[in-house]
Amino acid sequence: MESLTTITIVAIIKVAILIGALMTAAAYLVLLERWIAAWVQDRLGPNRVGVPLTNIRLFGLGQPLADGLKFIFKEENVPEQVDKFLFTVAPISILTAALAIFAVIPFGSSLPPDLGIPGIHHAIQLVVAPQLDVGLIYVFALSSIAVYGVILGGWASNSKYSFLGGLRSSAQLIAYELPLGLGILGVVLFAGSLRLEPIIDQQAASGVWNVFVQPLGFVVFLVASFAESARLPFDLPEAEQELVGGYHTEYSGMRLLMYLIAEFLHMVTAAFLITILFLGGWHFWGITGSGGDVTWPIAILRVIVLTVKVLLVIVFFMMVRWSWPRFRFDQLMALAWKVMLPLGLVNFVAVAFVSEFAWNAQEHRVSSTWAVVLAMWVVAIISWWLAGSLSPLATDNRPRTDLPDAASFGELN
Amino acid sequence: MQPNDPNIKWVEEPKLGITGKMYLPLLFQGLTTTTKHLFGPKVTVSFPEARPTVGNPLIYRGVHRLNKDEQGRVQCVACFLCATACPAHCIDIIGAESPWPDREKYPQSFVIDELRCIFCGMCEEACPVDAIELTSLLDLTGRSREEMIFDKEKLLSVYDQTKDAEPMKSASMGGVVC
Repeated sequence: MESLTTITIVAIIKVAILIGALMTAAAYLVLLERWIAAWVQDRLGPNRVGVPLTNIRLFGLGQPLADGLKFIFKEENVPEQVDKFLFTVAPISILTAALAIFAVIPFGSSLPPDLGIPGIHHAIQLVVAPQLDVGLIYVFALSSIAVYGVILGGWASNSKYSFLGGLRSSAQLIAYELPLGLGILGVVLFAGSLRLEPIIDQQAASGVWNVFVQPLGFVVFLVASFAESARLPFDLPEAEQELVGGYHTEYSGMRLLMYLIAEFLHMVTAAFLITILFLGGWHFWGITGSGGDVTWPIAILRVIVLTVKVLLVIVFFMMVRWSWPRFRFDQLMALAWKVMLPLGLVNFVAVAFVSEFAWNAQEHRVSSTWAVVLAMWVVAIISWWLAGSLSPLATDNRPRTDLPDAASFGELN
Repeated sequence: MQPNDPNIKWVEEPKLGITGKMYLPLLFQGLTTTTKHLFGPKVTVSFPEARPTVGNPLIYRGVHRLNKDEQGRVQCVACFLCATACPAHCIDIIGAESPWPDREKYPQSFVIDELRCIFCGMCEEACPVDAIELTSLLDLTGRSREEMIFDKEKLLSVYDQTKDAEPMKSASMGGVVC
């Protein structure tokens, strides 16, 4: 057993690596986002800024540095009417929560044992808080705090634009937490654990990623995580074309930067969760192995596989942004309550059924695997078809004439 | 107008087909389109390194020039037609008696304020001797307002700069376009 000091030092090193990587990633994801936006629109994108004070351009890789400098030197305008305390607390809380989620998210499997470092006898797990049994509940608790950041920001700004933006986004975030939870429940049932590492281990051991067994849960979780991270087609909190800026209308300078980083971190979190819960985490057939006995090449390979998968999911997020128009607010709510919630329940019931009668995570049988996968796909397609044809999203734009005061309402304007 | 006005005709939206109701097929349709454009050819011109191509330089309206005749004299006869036609009042001419026997007047000073000019090409249309023309030079820059006021020497030098690439437009004057 390691001493408390060793555990603390190891944890601090992991936190330092993680925060450094996340902040750099957030900066470069902005660049990637702008590149993909440009390429999809047949433009070249930012490609000028390279090494400062030289003419070396490096395909624009210096752009995040320039963006960061710009934000640091920008005037930080605090409007007179705001609640100064909450105005500062709101972005800090949302960024803290977004960073704290990564305490339980593994960024690899583990380092090989016997590193030769005195005081460390076990293999170091590549997650800041290993053995945290409430892992997914912790993720949920912290992602709910994002709602606080949003609505506090909107409220403290004391401006109608911010307030309406905050209300919209809190309604959206709360509505989509249900399908998000239902999507996760199926995975938790299969793995028999709320920790993220056993969920990966279970997928790696069976070699069947959850996306193949639970396609319906995957789609529900994917859609819900798009909405939770406020990405298009669900970016109503800060719909640039309709709202001034949503809940961060009044923000500028470093406080705005905190909101923007938190938004990108939400997307990174969503990509990590999608990868870990449904796409097998660090597992890839034939490359990474599946057991706990890890050598150096395998440890590094697992980190690389996980990172590549997460990056691909993020690229998918960014591509979807330019492929789909934004939902109207009533359609957004109808999708959450009328489509995604029932589908999530169907998936949950199917998974419960399967794990009770056919699937056992501990003694996994190949013969029944194909039957289970087939059955789950049939369930997914039938329920998706039913949901699509029974509750189409409302598309009627005409004003309501059944209300008694519809006519007088028109006269008022 | 009230929402229940009988004059309002509501156009029915097209009914969704099976792919529209299933929604995911349409997502993949959209994704293929965006992916095609992701790797497709780009339209951006990296300006200082690459020059934008001007479709037809003869009809492009860029920086002005004052044409010279075969003997190198300014062709302008100081008739003030261009200054009169100019809707932005950016042409300022001082006419004087011509030193040459074949014309009565010539411009002692011919100044165009390129910052006021709206590049409409009316001066070019108005000129009876095809002395003023718009070239295809498009990157007109300067560091001060004074620098952007082009006098006669500057306008004649624009002619020297562009005469090989862009011959004079009028056929009667030896150009290629009537």
